[in-house]
Parts: sequence; structure tokens; C-alpha cells
Amino acid sequence: MCKIGIPRGMFFYDYFPLWKEFFQELGIEIIVSSKTNKEILNLGISSCVDEACLPVKIFHGHVEYLKDKVDYIFIPRIMSIDRMEYCCPKVLGLPDMIRYSIGKLPPIIDTQINLRKSNNKYKKSIYDTGKLLGKDFWEIKKAYKKAEKSYERYIYLLNKGVVPIEAIKIYDKVFKDINYSSEHNELTIMVVGHSYSIYDEYLNMNLISKLMSNNIKVITPEMINKEKINRYSNKLPKRMFWTHGKRIVGSAFSLIEEQKIDGIIYLSSFGCGMDSVLVDLVERKAIKAEIPFTLLTLDEQTGEAGVNTRIEAFIDMMKWRNRDENNISAFR
Amino acid sequence: MKNFYMGIDVGSVSTNIVILDEENNIVWKKYLRTQGKPIDILKEGLKEVRKELGDIDIKGVGTTGSGRQLAGLILGADVVKNEITCHAVSALDFMPDIKTIIEIGGQDSKIIIIRDGIVVDFAMNTVCAAGTGSFLDRQAFRLGVGIEQFGKLALKSDNPVRIAGRCAVFAESDMIHKQQLGHNQEDIIWGLCQALVRNYLNNVGKGKEILGPIAFQGGVAANEGIKRAFEDTLKQEVFIPKDFDVMGAVGVGLLAKAEVKRKKTTSFKGLNISNIDYKVRGMECNDCANLCEVIEIQEGNNILARYGDKCGKWTNSIKDSSKLA
Repeated sequence: MCKIGIPRGMFFYDYFPLWKEFFQELGIEIIVSSKTNKEILNLGISSCVDEACLPVKIFHGHVEYLKDKVDYIFIPRIMSIDRMEYCCPKVLGLPDMIRYSIGKLPPIIDTQINLRKSNNKYKKSIYDTGKLLGKDFWEIKKAYKKAEKSYERYIYLLNKGVVPIEAIKIYDKVFKDINYSSEHNELTIMVVGHSYSIYDEYLNMNLISKLMSNNIKVITPEMINKEKINRYSNKLPKRMFWTHGKRIVGSAFSLIEEQKIDGIIYLSSFGCGMDSVLVDLVERKAIKAEIPFTLLTLDEQTGEAGVNTRIEAFIDMMKWRNRDENNISAFR
Repeated sequence: MKNFYMGIDVGSVSTNIVILDEENNIVWKKYLRTQGKPIDILKEGLKEVRKELGDIDIKGVGTTGSGRQLAGLILGADVVKNEITCHAVSALDFMPDIKTIIEIGGQDSKIIIIRDGIVVDFAMNTVCAAGTGSFLDRQAFRLGVGIEQFGKLALKSDNPVRIAGRCAVFAESDMIHKQQLGHNQEDIIWGLCQALVRNYLNNVGKGKEILGPIAFQGGVAANEGIKRAFEDTLKQEVFIPKDFDVMGAVGVGLLAKAEVKRKKTTSFKGLNISNIDYKVRGMECNDCANLCEVIEIQEGNNILARYGDKCGKWTNSIKDSSKLA
């Protein structure tokens, strides 16, 4: 049986349930690289071009990790996933970047997804991918139907308030209708940023788990439904043409305007071009609404002191504010 | 016997110790250079407390700064708090109607915005240490000027040289070029102070509403040149607390006092821990690909703490008497 490697990086947390089900349904074994660790980080940094952002470097590390273990590596060329929108240039060129940076690679399956003009080409991309693996039309169609179902379950969980790092573990298990929003938490914080930074727990030093262990409810952009994201991002004077940018701005704007959060932590990778615009848009909106905002810029540092100080001070500040509103002495 | 409270700020450049009395007065303070040896300096500091004040009755202890966890473990601190909260607490004690705190330390710079006595916003420098104390230290050394004279020299200049302030590397090369062109030292130093302030306001202070009264604290507040550059740019007076260099320690001392009043007992291990031998060992755990850097602290023959592992295997096996490598 042939083995396909899926690197645990970049769009992994957006689409893994879809990819996994599709390939498995076609009778192909899936190998996912292990969670990011020091070894993967080091491999990535030594093979990737220096100017790239940390998530791209880490992705290189995941490919290095997989390359001797599999027959194919799946790195789709995701150019556009919505009409008149684009992804980050580094995502567009990812398969090429990998091909020229890493030697002795197994063949890369670089299915092109380009829905900028229409959805028509999407089906063709799916069939081409299946055909490459020697499957016939009906097999592919059936596999994709199943994959869609499992992806829908994942999205359903996210919209129900399950954080993606949890949802990705449980989406394919039998589950009752969990209602996460009923849990009582003292504070609600939005963790915003690109999915490949906020869900990679090594890169961000367990930011989401740290907040959750402080009895804080965490909301991320992926947990806001698409309709709302479109509605709120349309409030910008100019249309946001980056899909992830639109998701970040739309979800943050909706939570700010609906007053559903006590604070926003923006997690950005050093050198991210998109973030140079997005951070400012979100920050200005938050300041106007008097919602605490803080920016964490991460690169390959692994000393946690700096990040911990900022998180701790941020939580302190929100608690201090809340206590003050409840007329309890602010000092203690 | 009088009651005293101790606040300790273990920072990247300095370790500060203050002793407060029941009325929040600073009875004693000490500013020590950390020099990358936090445990030794901490013990040295405690020895000095004993030498100069005798065996006083310390009712509560708090630690802050980037070494706060380590110091807290060794001392048995009642409160371990981040620097931002501590600076806010002490600045409010210094001036209750304070609205903005500028704090520039060894490796961090912060701005804290306070309205009606509570912190409403803060920011810390993001990635680069340009414009912090250690940068100034280094440039002073390079120019062959003692850091103590740095500020005074800046005040002598009335013709600043423009120096790029956004990045420490660019600032340094810009400064060298200006030196080669023959600009005099005072003008370069004054230019450097202005560059630091410009960088601070554009990076850390970006988008913040800086209203007076403004307090300026942290080690860099000793530099009159920086104070003047802030006042020129912000067009208002900047207040420097008398104990500007130990404000973090004062803040955590105040918090420790409040905490002890609440729980009515202290977990402080006593001043005589300066006689105990502490050993720190580190190792790289090779059990999985994370290759965690595990740290173990030994107090005498006991293992006081282990940390640094992501899975918790070493942290949790502390009772197990087997020591690391």
C-alpha cells in the first residue's frame, strides 16, 4: 500500500480532516509528521531560506521529517480558496519552495486549488489528485463525499466553541452534542493570528493551553462562522483580498462589536507581511472599543520568560479592570 | 519587634532588594548587578541584609523580574508577580494620580497606561532590545564613557547628531560612521538619547495616549539625557521617583505585604538560606524529539525543583531521589 505524508504545518489545522478522510477512503495510508519539536525546528531552519517566516521554516522541518518515511508528500498549491481572494505568496509557492530547498524528496502531490474565478476547477483538482494515485472516477467521488462529511463535523465543533487543537483530536470520534459555551469562565480572550501560528503549540509555547489552564475561555478566528466573518470584514472601506486576513479581521471585529470578549492577544510571526496590516486594523478597532489588546511577536526563541510575563500581566490587567467595575478594592 | 517586608526584582542586568516597613517606607535598598548568576547574587544580597540590618523579622517576601520563578522557589516567596503589575503598584503608591509609566530596564522597555488608579493598557518591546539599558551600556563602553557620565555629557550638547534608532545594529553602525566623520562625543551621545526615545515612542508607545502625570522608572531613568529627550518630545515634565531603580521590587514588596495580611502567614524560608549551598544542573533530555532543556535546582542535598520539560516527566518525579546527570 502506498503511503502519503502530510506535514503538520501551514494549512494543516484548516484542512486536515478533509485530507485525511479523502486519502484513507481511497485506501491510502496517511503518515502525519509528529508535532513540532526542537528537531523539526532545527531541520527547518537549516533547510529553509533565511528570510521566510517561522511557520514556513517549521513546515520545511516537517517535510524533512517525512521525506524518508513515505512514497509521496502532499503539499497542495493553495492559491485561492474563495472568489476574488488570495492566500499569502509563501503559500502559493510552497511546493516550489520545498522542492528547491530540500534534496532527495519523494514525489510531491501539489494539487492546485484556485477558486479565484470560479469553483469549476475544484472538482477537476480532486479528480486529478485521485487519478495520480490510480483510482477511478467513482472511487474518487465517493471518497470526497465522505471527506466532506468529516470536514463538516470538524467545522461544526469549531462553531460550537471547541478550540481547534481539541477539535482535531475528537472530530472523528462518536460524540454527543457538546455545549462548551455553558461552562463558566471568569474571562474570555480571543487569540488571533494565522492558524499555523496559533495552533502550533511548540511555536507559540502552548499559549492556548496556558490560557485555558487559567480558567479562561479562548476563542479563535476559526471558531467564528463564515457568514459573520464576511459581514464584519465588509465594514472595511476596502475589500480584504487575503482569505486569512479576512478571517482574522472579520472574526476580531465581530467579537469586539458584539462585546463577547474581555481582551485580544494577537500572535504574530516575526516578519509576517500580512500581519503588518492586520495587527494595526485589529488593534485600532480594539482601542476604540476599549478592549485590552496585546501583541506577541514570535520567532525561534524558546525561552518562555518573555511570553509568560506578557500573558500574566495581560490577565492581571483584565482581572484588575473587572474587579474595579465590581467595586472591589483594586489593590488586592 | 517591628515587621518588615522584602521585595526582590531579579532582572536581566540588576537584582534589586528592598526592605519595607509597615508604613510602606523603604528602610533599606540594594542594587546589585545580576551578571548572569542570579542565585549567587541573591545569596550575596541576603547576606548584606543580615550584615546591615541584623536578624530582622521579615513577615513577607515577593519576587518579580525575569528571574522571579527561580528566586521565588529559593526564598519561598509569598507572591511571584510579573514586572508590569509590580511597577504599576509602586508607581501608584508614589503618585496616586499617575496616568502613564515609562519603564526602561536592562532588556525590556515598557509603557503602562493607568486611568483612575487601574492599569488599562500596557505594551512591552516586541523583538528587539534596541533602546534598552544593555544597549546603552554597550554604547557607553564603546565610546569609552562611564555609564554614569553618559547622561551628563548628553546635557552638554546643543547640536544632536541624528542616529538611526530602530535597530541596535543599525544604530551602532550609524554611530560609528558619525564618529568617523568627526562629530564630537557629546553630540553623538545626545543624538543617541534622542534616538532611543524616538524608538521607544514609535515602538512601545505606538498608538498609546500618553497623558501626564508621567513617571519614568527603571535603571535607565538615572540617565538625565534620556529624561530630557522625553521631556522635549512629550512637551511636559517627566517625574522620576526617588527610588526609580528599585520600583519593581517596591511594588512586589507591597503586594507581598497585602498577601501576607490576607493569608496571615508567610512561606519565607528565612534569611539564613544564604548559608545553604545551591546547585543547578542542566541536561538535555533525549527521551523524545523535543530534546527539552531540563533544569534541576538542589538545596543542600534535596532537590528543590525541576523544570523545563514539556511532558512533565522530570517535574513530577521530584520526590524520586535520583538526580539528573
